[in-house]
Amino acid sequence: MPEKKVTAKPKKKQQPFAWVSMLFFVSAFQIISALPVIFGSEEINREILFTFGGFLALEWGYFICARFLAEQRATELEIIAFMLSGIGLVTVASVKPEYAFKQFIAICIGLTGFIALLGIMRNVEVISLLRPVVAVGAVGLLGLNLVLARTINGALNWIEIGSFSIQPSELVKVAFIFVGAASLEKLQSTRSLTKYIIFSLGCIGALFLMRDFGTALIFFATFMVIAFLRSGDIKTIGLLSAVAVVGAAMIIYFRPHVASRFETYRHVWEYANEGGFQQTRVLIYASSGGLFGLGIGEGRLKNVFASTTDLIFGIICEEWGMIVAFCVVLCFAFVAVYALRLARNARSTVYTIAAVASAAMLLVQLALNVFGVTDLLPLTGVTLPFISRGGTSMICSWALFAFIKSADIKTYPKLEKQMDDA
Amino acid sequence: MNTVTKRAYVLLGIIIAFMVGIGILAGSFFVNGDIWATSRYNGHLYSAGQITNAGKILDRNGVVLAQSVDGKRVYNRSRSIRISTLHAVGDTYGYIAYGAHSLCRDKLTGYSFVNGIYDLIKTGEGSDVKLTIDAELCKTAYNALNGKKGAVGVYNYKTGEIICMVSSMSYDPENKPDDIETNEKYEAVYVNRLLNGVFTPGSVFKTVTAACAIENIPDINSRTFNCTGAYKTPQGGEVICNNTHGKIDFQTALTKSCNSAFAQLGIELGNKKLTETAEKMGFGKSFNVSGVKTSPSRIDLKEAVEIDTGWAAIGQYTTLVNPLNFMMIAGCIASGGSTPTPYFVQEALTEITGNLSTNSLLNESTANTLKTMMRNNVINNYGDSRFPGMEFGGKTGTAQISGEKSHAWFFGFSCAEDFPYAIVVVSENSGGGSEIAVPIASKVMKELKNSL
Repeated sequence: MPEKKVTAKPKKKQQPFAWVSMLFFVSAFQIISALPVIFGSEEINREILFTFGGFLALEWGYFICARFLAEQRATELEIIAFMLSGIGLVTVASVKPEYAFKQFIAICIGLTGFIALLGIMRNVEVISLLRPVVAVGAVGLLGLNLVLARTINGALNWIEIGSFSIQPSELVKVAFIFVGAASLEKLQSTRSLTKYIIFSLGCIGALFLMRDFGTALIFFATFMVIAFLRSGDIKTIGLLSAVAVVGAAMIIYFRPHVASRFETYRHVWEYANEGGFQQTRVLIYASSGGLFGLGIGEGRLKNVFASTTDLIFGIICEEWGMIVAFCVVLCFAFVAVYALRLARNARSTVYTIAAVASAAMLLVQLALNVFGVTDLLPLTGVTLPFISRGGTSMICSWALFAFIKSADIKTYPKLEKQMDDA
Repeated sequence: MNTVTKRAYVLLGIIIAFMVGIGILAGSFFVNGDIWATSRYNGHLYSAGQITNAGKILDRNGVVLAQSVDGKRVYNRSRSIRISTLHAVGDTYGYIAYGAHSLCRDKLTGYSFVNGIYDLIKTGEGSDVKLTIDAELCKTAYNALNGKKGAVGVYNYKTGEIICMVSSMSYDPENKPDDIETNEKYEAVYVNRLLNGVFTPGSVFKTVTAACAIENIPDINSRTFNCTGAYKTPQGGEVICNNTHGKIDFQTALTKSCNSAFAQLGIELGNKKLTETAEKMGFGKSFNVSGVKTSPSRIDLKEAVEIDTGWAAIGQYTTLVNPLNFMMIAGCIASGGSTPTPYFVQEALTEITGNLSTNSLLNESTANTLKTMMRNNVINNYGDSRFPGMEFGGKTGTAQISGEKSHAWFFGFSCAEDFPYAIVVVSENSGGGSEIAVPIASKVMKELKNSL
């Protein structure tokens, strides 16, 4: 493994400005895709023009600072994050122009959170110190959510503060991984794992009470990954999943209305105007777009309920074409492979667990979203990371990328130098 | 450290599972994209349940049967052509489940996996679809049915092209009658009776019994039958004949359609052999006609006692047949036992889509014997003047329906080398085959002959 690091370094040094050409390419793609939205109607949409200009400035500003001030040598993750955020921003601006600025602000907050989290993750001691606070905060937030909850679309997972509605479960996702990533000393202790299991049960139980089954499933899958990484105990994990299956079966048995939410699964065409409305429309309009799409703003899926949140994958297929849509999806697979590489060389188990669990969480959420709207899995109403409209979802996506990036020693040049010197 | 690093490979498992899912998703778009994109819920194509933009549907001579004008779907100018071609052309609402409008949705909308429906949206035009039918001939056939329910089918038994496909009752898609759901006249109006109707066959079934006899009774041509106006079965049953034919041979029995002779033959052959021959001739089988699965002809003699077998042999009992199946049998008899599956949508890719699969419904020698016998039917009974210059062979049927008038049947073929057409006519509850069905067939075949 160390050899690989050695071979990777000179390769990077041969092309010191590869990131600039990459950034040019991404910006060109973003500008071209934004043009029809800005100049689509007879009058130039000034608000969107400024929003989008702000986005480009943020993007270039970040990379220049990161490269020259923070001495970042690997910025692949940020390129992907900006690329995806840009696709989401343009799509949101084209369907709901009034939300474009909010989405831009969400990207700004997401990026800020990303940088802040990278700072926190720098030091294992800081993580250990913060962990109990975060755990208590997360459970408290979910509890507060249950008390204050507003039912939106059948799920109780929103809190409204003034004109902002936030989805605490998205923030708790970040906390979930933060709490779950344990250092080597804690790995062997059963007590530490038990505490984590109790914490997880609390989170997942709260999500069940909120009837946010999609997010509960994401938490459960992530929990399994973290539990496996920490204990390597397949028996315990098998037992836990058996308990979960029995629990789910009991819920369906005693609460038939929960099961009825999934009755259209694999039968969407029979309920094309009822329970299968969204899925059938995604299939219809996604295949209408072909490989190259009908053009941004030319689609019709945008008129369907939740088009810019849950169904945005369908809009990208219809308007941008299946090639772009599948590239988006493959970006996440690339990020997961990238995370795995970093996790193998990480300087502490904390980072291995954080990177692997984040990548797993992203993939599970992506699968629930993309396969849910296309009826390969039941529709659970989770968002597409970075792309779906929504602030908390955006913040969470950036934070998960921060966990992955923190596993890379190159993120902390001074630390790297210290370690090299040592 | 090392163990956790190893455990990290669980992520690789998740990535692989995810990629498999992506592969399945891409595959299902590739396989089902045409059906999904052309769904009637697609707002790009449909408005208020009506298809708005799509290519033209043309008949074999290029006559426009349906097209989009200013975002509205309009049909042929002639009301009679609209009515007579309705089941072939279909409607934009999808009431006619198996017309060209639904069968060729992907082509009409110009859908392709690569471009989706982009071309249609940019140009407002899909691709045109050409049918093999002749609109004028359909009109003649529909009018000849004279308001009775029924079906007429004519096809080229060498190529499989259906040149006439008419199902009655029909209606005008531009002026749909208000009482269509309630008026008894419009019973099963949306069904294409040629492809998806099944009817009691009556004497047309005697060709099946005859084929079975030719193959199983070696001295069939030297046999004689004594018709006394009814056939008394050995076990004491009785099958009544339409006449008292006296002492007749096998050929005359078919020409005169003698029930006594065929009931006797059927009982002699037995349930098993009759069923075998019928199944060889396409009973129980569904044919794929341009993507429409035809309703199979049905024969079930499992519970038939002797007298039932006697009635079944002359086409009564529980047997029900599909008109297209008999059109194909006529084609097979004319062409030495096999025929391509008929089709009515012209496609360059016909060979690839498998429309040209051949069906061998008869042995060659059986087919040739029947060909001579049915040719003799026309010469000696129905009259060559009905089918001038066509060397026609055929068989009528008059299927008795309890409490109502009989179904009139005729199916036949031209033996002329340069006129390889076969026809089937069924007219429900309208009378005898010779009086009703033969004149319809005569009219249609004469017009076809003149138009070529």
